[in-house]
Amino acid sequence: MIAFTILALGIVLFLPPYLDGIARKVKARIQHRRGPPLMQTWYDLVKLLSIPSVIPTRNWLFKLYPYLAFASAIVAALLLPYGGVIPLKLGYNLIVFFYAILMVSVFLMLAGFSVQNAFSHLGSAREMMLILTVEPLLAIVYGILAYNAGSLDIGEIISNLHLTPSLIVAYAILAYSMYVESGFVPFDVAEAETEVIGGPLAEYSGRLLGIFYYAIHIKRFALLWFFVSLVVLPLVPITTQAKALLALLLQLLLTLALYPVIASLEATNARLRIDQVAKVNVRLFFASIIVFAMSFLGW
Amino acid sequence: MELALPLVLFILGMLGGLSKKAFKVSSAFAALASLSIVALVFNLKPVEGKLLGLPVYIDGFSLIFMLILGILGFSASLYSIPYMERHPGKEWVYAVAYNAFLLSMFLILITSNLVWFVFFWELMTLSSFILITWDEKDFDPGIKYYIAMHILTTFPLFISLGVSYSFLGSLDAMTYPNLKSLPSSATLLLYASFLIAFMAKSGIVPFHFWVPSTYKVAPSNISSLLAGAMEKIAVFGLIRIMYTALPTPKSIGYLVALLGAVTLTVGTLYALRESDAKKLLAYHSIGQMGYIWLGIGIGLSLDSPLGALGMFAGIFHALNHSLFKGSLFLSAGSVEYATGETNLDNLGGLAERMKWTGLATLLASLAISGVPPFNGFLSKWLIYTAGYNSGDMVLSFGAVLAVFISAVTLASFIKFYTSQFGGESERYRDVSEVPLSMVVPQLILSSLCLIIGIFPALVVPLINEPIGAPISTSLYLNFDSTAFSPLIFGLLIVTLAFGTYIGLEPRGEEAEPWDCGASFIERDEYRVRAHHYYLKYEEKVGNFYAFGDWAYSVGASLVNAIVRFYVWIAKYFVKIVDTPYTKVRGVSDLRKHKVMYIDEELFLPFIRFLMVARNVLKCPSFDTLMTISLVLLLILLIFAGWGI
Repeated sequence: MIAFTILALGIVLFLPPYLDGIARKVKARIQHRRGPPLMQTWYDLVKLLSIPSVIPTRNWLFKLYPYLAFASAIVAALLLPYGGVIPLKLGYNLIVFFYAILMVSVFLMLAGFSVQNAFSHLGSAREMMLILTVEPLLAIVYGILAYNAGSLDIGEIISNLHLTPSLIVAYAILAYSMYVESGFVPFDVAEAETEVIGGPLAEYSGRLLGIFYYAIHIKRFALLWFFVSLVVLPLVPITTQAKALLALLLQLLLTLALYPVIASLEATNARLRIDQVAKVNVRLFFASIIVFAMSFLGW
Repeated sequence: MELALPLVLFILGMLGGLSKKAFKVSSAFAALASLSIVALVFNLKPVEGKLLGLPVYIDGFSLIFMLILGILGFSASLYSIPYMERHPGKEWVYAVAYNAFLLSMFLILITSNLVWFVFFWELMTLSSFILITWDEKDFDPGIKYYIAMHILTTFPLFISLGVSYSFLGSLDAMTYPNLKSLPSSATLLLYASFLIAFMAKSGIVPFHFWVPSTYKVAPSNISSLLAGAMEKIAVFGLIRIMYTALPTPKSIGYLVALLGAVTLTVGTLYALRESDAKKLLAYHSIGQMGYIWLGIGIGLSLDSPLGALGMFAGIFHALNHSLFKGSLFLSAGSVEYATGETNLDNLGGLAERMKWTGLATLLASLAISGVPPFNGFLSKWLIYTAGYNSGDMVLSFGAVLAVFISAVTLASFIKFYTSQFGGESERYRDVSEVPLSMVVPQLILSSLCLIIGIFPALVVPLINEPIGAPISTSLYLNFDSTAFSPLIFGLLIVTLAFGTYIGLEPRGEEAEPWDCGASFIERDEYRVRAHHYYLKYEEKVGNFYAFGDWAYSVGASLVNAIVRFYVWIAKYFVKIVDTPYTKVRGVSDLRKHKVMYIDEELFLPFIRFLMVARNVLKCPSFDTLMTISLVLLLILLIFAGWGI
């Protein structure tokens, strides 16, 4: 139990930047480059954390937001199951998890708006619009999962799911919304380095920027880990310690396997405009209402 | 009976109108009275009895809403003391109307008789009307409110009075318990009329048209009370009638939930588009009332513990909404007080100048957006749980909308907070923080949001007492397997954040924001304006707004027709002095133009005749003249009688 918790903490703290390193390598290989070492994102982070920041405002909250975002990301990640163990059992609940994840974005946006800079305002507003278009999709997924398993509790969902066509579609919608909410290309409209110079992060530098990056990596990891858990854990019912270890291993492997997929999607797509994202996602919402109705018919 | 204490204090507040500093004295008494209501909530057991001849019935529901009224009344009254100085008018009118407004709400909560309920309801409408039109800048919204309330609440309530009177036979018998004995056909009529009345008062679609403009023109302390307390009175009515007095109707509950789901969507999506601070808040009041109705609707329509959970969540959200919306309206008022501006497009950079107002706004904004561990998260989360677990497609879809709209609320309040307090501003360089007794109420309300969020056990037993949902609060807020510990969550976030902060302390120098070298742009303009924040998204959901506008026009056209009818009638009684340029379109016009009242028209010739007569007769005394005219009148009468 305690071993698992420590393992989970290790995964949450160490893995996310490392995953980004993998993604960078994969992207480089797709573009026929050699690419940086796998630890490169870690090196970047460590370096950023040692550089002083430029503070563009007298608003003291500006300096606080990165830490709050970081804390929310870690708490969100620890709400998930690692093997058979949930490190933070203070609400093993879909909605609590997603709200905790959302808090990272909330603090990111508040940070972006706290300075007098049009670029960071633009980026923050786009981040919010992205969330606005994803949230209804997630809400539909909650509905399908809750009806399918009869609960919003992640543990009960994992143990009570039964396979229906609508569930498979719900998983697809979930995967898509996770991808959009993580802000991977082509949905990186908020940060969009080449367009709005990092969006909400435009005015952040040095240590504060490093902490924000770290938080964002952990957030992406947590979203992926959530999806992976929903795939793996129903297949491996945990009865013994060995099974728990197997489940954790499978979760880890699937996460490591999915990241290159994400990276190749990123490498082969170009950024969409925010209105295009909104258009696609609003349509998808109406389509998913049909799936929602299907699930209530038992399909 | 200790219930008389608030009553006495409110009446003293009205009498305070006689003093020289009526604003201050009456507001102070109102604050005291509200405080005594809060004290009552914690010392009172449910009772039945009489208070000065008024039949009193207090149960758990009354206590919850008394708590809401007390907290809101206290904060708003405290706030009024300096705030009303900027809104001059006849002070004694304010003293009477303000105290009558609070008092009427208090009496609605404690009476057990339908007649008194309707009577105090009317008093509430009338006094709120006087307060809404206090600034006399724009009369039309206030009058629309008044007319809408009369058509949509008074009229149905009188129908219900008539129906129940015809079956119960006496005014004294029209108590809530007796309503249960009515035949089912009459009950159906009661359901319909009460539902319409409470919908209109709480601003449920399609009767939400009066809300934005009314809250906009009212002074902010009044808006705070309207949104925080008066709307909740309608919720109280809904629960009192539908849940405790009449047999609980399943289908009506379903309808209530459906109306709630529609209202929360419409209200909040409209708020997203709004860039006037007070209108934005007003639209959110509509949206949040939708949440409350959704919760209560689930509570009415489901029998299981899940139904009780929905009811609990709805009422919990009513309390929470009072706290954060009350605080937000006060903050908007403070910003207006300090800068004279409510348009979010023109505001900015106030975080440095108005630290405490900014903090209160931030806390309340996070609470209304449902960020854990604030109180808004808890009640919304329980509403979602009730909706999603209901296993009913419509209720579950209501929860889907509620989750979605929670994100819209977040968007809108990020805009609300950051466009006022984010960035820097040259224009508001000299603005300073509002007086202490305006800051304190905001902070009381918004810190209560956080305190209740972290320690829900403070209010959960009180709210759950009349409902009896299987909810437990120790360290965790528990329902079935659904549990959440806001305390641990909050502590973890704070510890982690501050731990990292201390471990990796931010350091660096201050510098101007980087502007790509675009130095020709004024610094104040180097930002995104409030109404541009989510423009692209609003364009993409444009069809929704088209539909919403249509729904709005249906409700508004009804009231507009009534206003036109009223003006048409009024034109016969109030003779406007005709000039070629006078055009009477709205009720305000009747006030604007020079008017001649019907009595003037009738009696003026006679008075002129008397004055001429006096001049001719050189009669010294008015009395003599009156006597003469009386004699003349008698003679006329005799002639008339003789003629017949």
